[in-house]
Amino acid sequence: MENKSRKYITIMAVMFILLVGLFFLCLGWGSADITLKEIFGSLLNPGDVHMGRIVVSIRLPRITAAILLGGALSVSGFLLQIFFGNPIAGPYVLGISSGAKLIVAIVMVFMLSQGKYISALGMVAAAFIGSLIAMGIVMLLSNKVKNMSLLVVCGVMIGYLCSAITEFIIAFADDTNIVNLHNWSLGSFSGISWEDVAISAIIVIVAFVFSFVLSKPIGAYQLGESYARNMGVNIKHLRILLILLSSILSATVTAFAGPISFVGIAVPHILRTILKTSKPIVMIPGCFLGGAIITLLCDGIARSAFSPREISISAVTAIGLSPIVIYLLIKRKEVSHG
Amino acid sequence: MVSSIDLESLVVGYKSPVIENVNLTVNSGEIVALIGPNGAGKSTVLKTITRQIQKMDGKIVIMGQDEDGISEDNLAKKLSMVTTERIHPELMSCFEVVSTGRYPYTGRLGILSKEDIKIVKKAIEMVGAKDVANKDFSKVSDGQRQRVMLARAICQEPEILILDEPTSFLDIQFKIDILSVIKNLAKEKNIAVLMSIHELEFVPAVADKVVAVSDGKVFKIGTPDEILTGENLASLYHMSLDESNVLATGLIDYSNSLKRVLCQK
Repeated sequence: MENKSRKYITIMAVMFILLVGLFFLCLGWGSADITLKEIFGSLLNPGDVHMGRIVVSIRLPRITAAILLGGALSVSGFLLQIFFGNPIAGPYVLGISSGAKLIVAIVMVFMLSQGKYISALGMVAAAFIGSLIAMGIVMLLSNKVKNMSLLVVCGVMIGYLCSAITEFIIAFADDTNIVNLHNWSLGSFSGISWEDVAISAIIVIVAFVFSFVLSKPIGAYQLGESYARNMGVNIKHLRILLILLSSILSATVTAFAGPISFVGIAVPHILRTILKTSKPIVMIPGCFLGGAIITLLCDGIARSAFSPREISISAVTAIGLSPIVIYLLIKRKEVSHG
Repeated sequence: MVSSIDLESLVVGYKSPVIENVNLTVNSGEIVALIGPNGAGKSTVLKTITRQIQKMDGKIVIMGQDEDGISEDNLAKKLSMVTTERIHPELMSCFEVVSTGRYPYTGRLGILSKEDIKIVKKAIEMVGAKDVANKDFSKVSDGQRQRVMLARAICQEPEILILDEPTSFLDIQFKIDILSVIKNLAKEKNIAVLMSIHELEFVPAVADKVVAVSDGKVFKIGTPDEILTGENLASLYHMSLDESNVLATGLIDYSNSLKRVLCQK
């Protein structure tokens, strides 16, 4: 027991160090190469030089957002996997991110047509509603479709449908901001402001703490509904909380960075493989760290691989993570719960 | 003395009643076997007591208290169960599965105390699953899994144990082992046991009381000797009296042998 706890702590410590290292690397990485000395100089004395402005007002918020939202996305995926009792679940493959994207796009275009901007909090609210609508459709389908792989196919279809409608809306909208909207709809951390970061930090941290505190009933739920109920878990409350938490986490990501593919499904799998456990008390913080590392890395690649041109982060995560998802789909024997 | 379970005019079912008017008392230290043909509603009764499904009518009294007024946490400390449901926990060792039985006793984050670990180890020892404790639950045999699930239920330190076909699909050795553990639990820890069972030959060896259900009602309640007669088996399982008499005679012989084996355990 104690050996295991030590192992978990060591792995998390290594991941944390990796994240810190990557953080500094990404600060220097980009179309303008900045040395470590310049980074520290500008962090200590931001208003000072040109480099300082790049670091503090462009790269730092972007990197902080990638860490927070990447972590949020993986925790959201983990919670969804618990909800469906199956590791082949994630906000992107089930179409939940795309549902959020659609509602955000509708609200955004409507507001722009009225000559108004939508606030950051408004974006999150719109994304949350979109997530819940998509989640509701997926849940209705899951009553009919007991096979998880088939449910994922349905989710992907919902995703395509929402993306297609979003494309239509964007195409018909008439505004100079459309270029931004288009980038966002593909998934990107570019142009994130400190205000966005602050709001997402508050939401993500609160939702993360809530999820972590739910570790105990979530762990019981992994043994199936009947046993969890016999242990004293209020199943109805737990299921509602799982939906709300996973939706708010993925909605926050979609609101600020658009839909990011496969992080929510693949990161929990990678973490389970590394940690060799599915205990939520270990997996929830583990997924957060893992999601932060992978998203930060992918964002770094997205903005510097073909710099100064930027590619969407989903393109990078798809190349890196979709093989893992395919592996999961093939390897997974269908097990029914109940 | 308060009885452990009191069912008063209980009606169980899903949309329509499966069994009506169940009146039954289970006392502490007593093993009550629920027998009857497939689909007679044995599981439905057990699921209703464990709150997996809602009762349709009547009263369930647990340790003298109406179950409706008992909170989830408190019920978990009084009553634990082993169902026929197959669980698929991912990457969980048998030890970890057993330790989930400590759920009602651990703190907010569910971290096991030294005392909890001691109880878990003792339960594992009791069911004879020590050698698989550190193995992945999904990789051990059905028989071992059943032992682990029983240990999990023991860890919950219940006063009542509800078992749905605890010995189905196990080989004879596992059946004997599991039943002898259940017998010890009832006698040593004074736990009330209510279990459904298909293997009638084991009933006289383990049960103090038998409840026979068939055709939507409780057919008869009595001692194993009173219930397992040719006449009763004929109406219970819808067979001819000739067939059931042959079976009943064989049953008595075989169950006497099993009784001797179980006593040696």
